[in-house]
Amino acid sequence: MAELMLHDYELDEQCYKVRLLLGVLARRYRRVSVDVYPGREQCGARYLRLNPLGALPILTEGEFVLYGAEAILAYLARKYDPSRSWLPDEPALFGEVAQWLAFAGIELRAASLARLRALLETGTDDSDNVGAARRAFRLMDDHMTKRELDDARWFVGNAATIADIAMFPAIALSRDFGVDHDEYPALRRWMANVRTIPGFATMPGIPAYH
Amino acid sequence: MSGTEHWHPAALSGGLEPGRSAGTRLFDREFCIWRDTGGVAHAWEDRCPHRGMRLSFGFVRGDRIACLYHGWQYDEKGQCRLIPAHPTLDVPPTICVTTFPCVERLGVLWIYPHHMVEAPPDLPVAERDVSPVRSLYIDCAPAAVLRALTAHAQDIGPPGVPLLSFASVADQPIAAVQPFGAAKTALHIVVPGALRTQRPGARRQTAEWAEELRHDLEQTLSPGELPSTVCGNSTWPS
Repeated sequence: MAELMLHDYELDEQCYKVRLLLGVLARRYRRVSVDVYPGREQCGARYLRLNPLGALPILTEGEFVLYGAEAILAYLARKYDPSRSWLPDEPALFGEVAQWLAFAGIELRAASLARLRALLETGTDDSDNVGAARRAFRLMDDHMTKRELDDARWFVGNAATIADIAMFPAIALSRDFGVDHDEYPALRRWMANVRTIPGFATMPGIPAYH
Repeated sequence: MSGTEHWHPAALSGGLEPGRSAGTRLFDREFCIWRDTGGVAHAWEDRCPHRGMRLSFGFVRGDRIACLYHGWQYDEKGQCRLIPAHPTLDVPPTICVTTFPCVERLGVLWIYPHHMVEAPPDLPVAERDVSPVRSLYIDCAPAAVLRALTAHAQDIGPPGVPLLSFASVADQPIAAVQPFGAAKTALHIVVPGALRTQRPGARRQTAEWAEELRHDLEQTLSPGELPSTVCGNSTWPS
């Protein structure tokens, strides 16, 4: 069987999503460290052949190449989760997971940019990104507040899904760009739940315990 | 600082589980609230004396909270008991965190943000059965929110402790008003009656009402209204 390879950068929260899912699925893979900073290796000719967008993560399995964290999460869940719980088949649950995956890719992009700006001093003005990130976090907190009132612990359905994995890093790392968790109590409790998933993986800025 | 002579709400009691910590603010001053594994709530200054890290980022172990940076552990009186890098050291009593009185009433955790040597005054709010709904954070000045809301709600709290009863709203929610910061207000919202007596969907409907309330307030009030005056003068009731 072809080897699963993740082209990865330790500080990249998009890569972390994939490491997190591979961890909870207990799937062995080879991790290829890419010199994103300061080398910008992901924008070199070798990596542009794998992902013309010049971004990580990139997953390869033999000749198969996939980029984009949410697409990789969906692929890994479909292929390596025999329980079908991380990406449910049931149409309504599948649709809701897809909705939050899109949210993670679109609405939470501002959080990624704000964090990159704070960490690596890239980009120009981060003020709009911080505001947009806060609006997204509030929407997530409203959602989880109502989920708690329905006695639910996860973003979708009755078990953790790749929606939880995709939503987790942006808020867990928000202090990197100066957004505290004080005003997101439902997200604080949900993040504590995520940390209890067997196989949970850490990254710099996300300790195991709370 | 105005307001230190009053109790202030800081969280919903049920939202702070045993063994967990959270950060919050009163008049932009940072507090760590945490609940030990025995269920007792604590409110402290949100600073580890070692490196100034926020203790609310730390983790609770039994009746102690430990700093996320270097694991210094503090007991329920705020006294440092263990420095992991020097495990045999008898920790000097001077290494301690400022603690504040903290009580739970009406499903809400309250802080008396004044370091007390003696017992604080009683919180003059009567206990009754309530069910928690949610904490709501509004990007508007506390005094402006209070002024806007008292047009729709009755203030049933004692002087200086705004407690708003929305009798005309379904399920008649009650909101404790937290002066979080110059441009931020928190409402800790409960509905009267124990959980078992709530009709199905009542709390969820109240949560949706709260979202609309926040939207209306933020549309009506400018975020920076009374930005610098709210902390220091009569715009906040005392």
